[in-house]
Amino acid sequence: MAMPTPATVPDVESGAAPLSAAPLATGRSPRRLFTGPVILSIAFLSVVLLMAVFAPFITKISGWGPYTFDPTAVDPATGGIPIGPFGGISSEHWFGVEPQSGRDIFARIVYGARVSMLIALSATLLTTLLGVLFGMLAGTFGGALDQVISRVMDFLMAFPTLIFMIALLSALPNINRPLMLITVLSLFGWVSMARIIRSQTMSLNRREFVEAAHASGASRAAIIFREILPNLSGSIIVIATLAVPTFIGVEAGLSFLGVGITPPTASWGQMISASVPWFTAVPSYFLIPGMFLFLTVLSATVLGDRAQKLIAGGHRL
Amino acid sequence: MSSYIARRLLWAVLTLLAVTFFTFLVFFALSPDPAVAICGQTCTPDRIATIQHQLGIDQPFLVQFGTFLKGIFAGRTYGEGASAIACQAPCIGHSFQNGEDVLTMIFGRLPVSVTLAVGAAVIWLVFGISLGLVSALKSETGWDRASMVVALAGVALPNYFLALVLQYVLVVKLQVLPFPSSVGFTEDPGLWFQSYLMPWIVLAFLYVALYARLTRTNVLDTLNENFMRTARAKGLPGSLILRRHALRPSLTPLVTLFGMDIATLLGGALITETVFGLNGVGKLAFDAVATNDQPVIMGVTLFAAFFVVIANIVVDLLYRFLDPRLRTVTR
Amino acid sequence: MTQVRHPDEPAQTDGAPLLEVSNLSISFDTREGSSTVVDDISFRIDRHKTLGVVGESGSGKSMTSLAIMGLLPKGARTTGSVLFKGEELLGRSEKWLRKIRGDQIAMIFQDPLSSLNPYYTVGLQIEEAYLAHRGGGRKNARTVAIDAMRRVRITDAERRVDDYPHQFSGGMRQRIMIAMALTCEPDLIIADEPTTALDVTVQAQILELISMLQAETGAGMLFITHDLAVVSQVADAVHVLQNGQTMEAGPTEQIFSRPQDPYTRRLLAAVPRIDEVVDVPRPVFGGVQ
Repeated sequence: MAMPTPATVPDVESGAAPLSAAPLATGRSPRRLFTGPVILSIAFLSVVLLMAVFAPFITKISGWGPYTFDPTAVDPATGGIPIGPFGGISSEHWFGVEPQSGRDIFARIVYGARVSMLIALSATLLTTLLGVLFGMLAGTFGGALDQVISRVMDFLMAFPTLIFMIALLSALPNINRPLMLITVLSLFGWVSMARIIRSQTMSLNRREFVEAAHASGASRAAIIFREILPNLSGSIIVIATLAVPTFIGVEAGLSFLGVGITPPTASWGQMISASVPWFTAVPSYFLIPGMFLFLTVLSATVLGDRAQKLIAGGHRL
Repeated sequence: MSSYIARRLLWAVLTLLAVTFFTFLVFFALSPDPAVAICGQTCTPDRIATIQHQLGIDQPFLVQFGTFLKGIFAGRTYGEGASAIACQAPCIGHSFQNGEDVLTMIFGRLPVSVTLAVGAAVIWLVFGISLGLVSALKSETGWDRASMVVALAGVALPNYFLALVLQYVLVVKLQVLPFPSSVGFTEDPGLWFQSYLMPWIVLAFLYVALYARLTRTNVLDTLNENFMRTARAKGLPGSLILRRHALRPSLTPLVTLFGMDIATLLGGALITETVFGLNGVGKLAFDAVATNDQPVIMGVTLFAAFFVVIANIVVDLLYRFLDPRLRTVTR
Repeated sequence: MTQVRHPDEPAQTDGAPLLEVSNLSISFDTREGSSTVVDDISFRIDRHKTLGVVGESGSGKSMTSLAIMGLLPKGARTTGSVLFKGEELLGRSEKWLRKIRGDQIAMIFQDPLSSLNPYYTVGLQIEEAYLAHRGGGRKNARTVAIDAMRRVRITDAERRVDDYPHQFSGGMRQRIMIAMALTCEPDLIIADEPTTALDVTVQAQILELISMLQAETGAGMLFITHDLAVVSQVADAVHVLQNGQTMEAGPTEQIFSRPQDPYTRRLLAAVPRIDEVVDVPRPVFGGVQ
């Protein structure tokens, strides 16, 4: 799996076009945040978030927990294939059951949402903090500090990240997998944000309004918080919004490979992995978590994309 | 210029050293004793100690690391006497579980990864760039919107999911392709092609999306440049304006991206290989993790990092060559 | 608002004007509705003569030149008439216009660094126009390019023809733009702020070059600038624009010595003069809409 680098996140400084009366030759720049696809994306993401937050209540209503086996739902004669159409969908099990174990897929999807969201959002938060911190440190102070931070970033980027994450995760003890995942993801994840923040901080520092603030005697801290950070906020929001789907994808990939979230905890990636031996007979088993994964990542990417276009067009979010 | 290259090479070496060190450290600190794994079922403490000595893991960390580094240049011998195992230079490790030098194992698997990478690259370059180009030229039309939606989906779709969907649709339901099998090109070209087709598509999918989006952005930006206006003001034919003035500035940044992407893939497309059961370098790494074959994990990590670091330099030099502004000193 | 005066007849050389713009209006559809950037302007240019179009930024002067060339961005709406050698230019197909551009009408832009493609040699970019309109081989075109560079007084042209735009200074790049414009001996040259991006010292050289070449070739010239001092040097007649509308028009001498329109007068008063008393308050101009 390739780690999708934010190659599509533009350097906002160079991409910002001044607003003018004459329209851009490329067509009208986007004016609204809430277009059709964006509304759909927000709706879907809200559903997923609600599932994540209210997982225990939801499964109370649906009747089955994510860890409970239901041997009556699977047919032992066929080796454990779920009874009923579409992988055992019934009024009892709204999304069907897992082959062999008979665990309720709906419940596992709901709890999987919880895990994915928790990890992705935590990792995003952590990488944003680290990325902004180191990026601004490097960009503001320059010199030796910048050299050190830049070298560290180069070093981390040279790592074959996926292999290393897998090796690292498989070597770590099996306690509190989510925390391990968040740590490992953040370890490598902060670099791309830091890089962009660094270069933008550097170019902002050269701008006149910073010079003016400096000349009027503002302290370094004041300049950072009042002049520079507000101008970075657009980029930060865009990168963070685009980081969330990336992390969801990476966590799912790692879980798929068996080094992320390990059973019995439910994770969409892990469910897809478990579905592989059954995929010819019970396609719903891979289709359901797969579609959820796909649509969640897609929705988050649509949002991030839209934000990016608006920022690059010169709007403030 | 040559001092620049020299400096970059120095940094490359230092980076590789740091990567190796860090990886070594992590395994040293975290991994369960490989001797136990190698020892197998019928194990005695004595036998474990022998294996440990053979592996050299009874030494302190820095000594181990030093030995490893030396081995890269001069080869290495594990153990002594009758049971000594020689590892030829450059030695990046020896897999006791498999009884082979790691580098030999990697080279054995490399053709598969290369085939996968090159095939996918052809697909994503052709489709990605054309899609991006057409979208840019027809921007804001239905075609543009549709292809950007596809590109968006490509970025969001996990490749293992796509692999399953493709196999389910093409192999199980429509039965137009067989399940991929590891047959050589020389044995059966037709089957070989059919076996690689789905892995190529799956691997390329994400890149098609990324390259389409990037090409589109670059072309649109270029079309807005002042020199495009000059070209039009000279009354040049449209196709010439496009071919000469628009393409080069738009595609040059893609060259560097492509270089890095290919280099990364030469270290193995882990998930794609694993999902389709292709014996490439990526699958080698994954299997090694599963069996805790540390030398292999170390070796593959180093191998992959090496490619990335070298590619970084090559790509940088290439870019300097391609952009005239970086080639010479400006006035 | 004062009445628009049409330029007094400059000395006519041979009957029909080279370029005749009548009631040209340009508007754009923006988010807020329709926006008019050029409002009903008319002028004429004859061979050997230069018309200076003056105004602040946003006055519509560049748009006018783009309209003549048919190079306005998408979404622009033009009405009126632009007659070049008696033929209407507005509304023509791209294909038709391409034959004229670079060949009979050439344009020199403001910023020569961004107006030249950094990826190709200046020689190639000069040859392009020639090859597209006159054909012939690369070898011949190369000779033409070297000659053109010599003509604009670039030393060592033989060698420099293979250099890239970034290897030249600002003034030399503008010379290259001029060389590019002249390869096909155009009848009309449109110069859009050709000296604005240059040092004052270089400005004078470039202006002198342009005037000399115009005299040599007998081309008519549309010279666009915001700088009145420049206009006084090169233009035979002046057309003053503000917010897309003509404020005043007439022979240069007349405009400068007997300006009728208050806007024109303020523009003139804003130019510092060497024989003036210092500390005289200068007029302040409001922002552009």
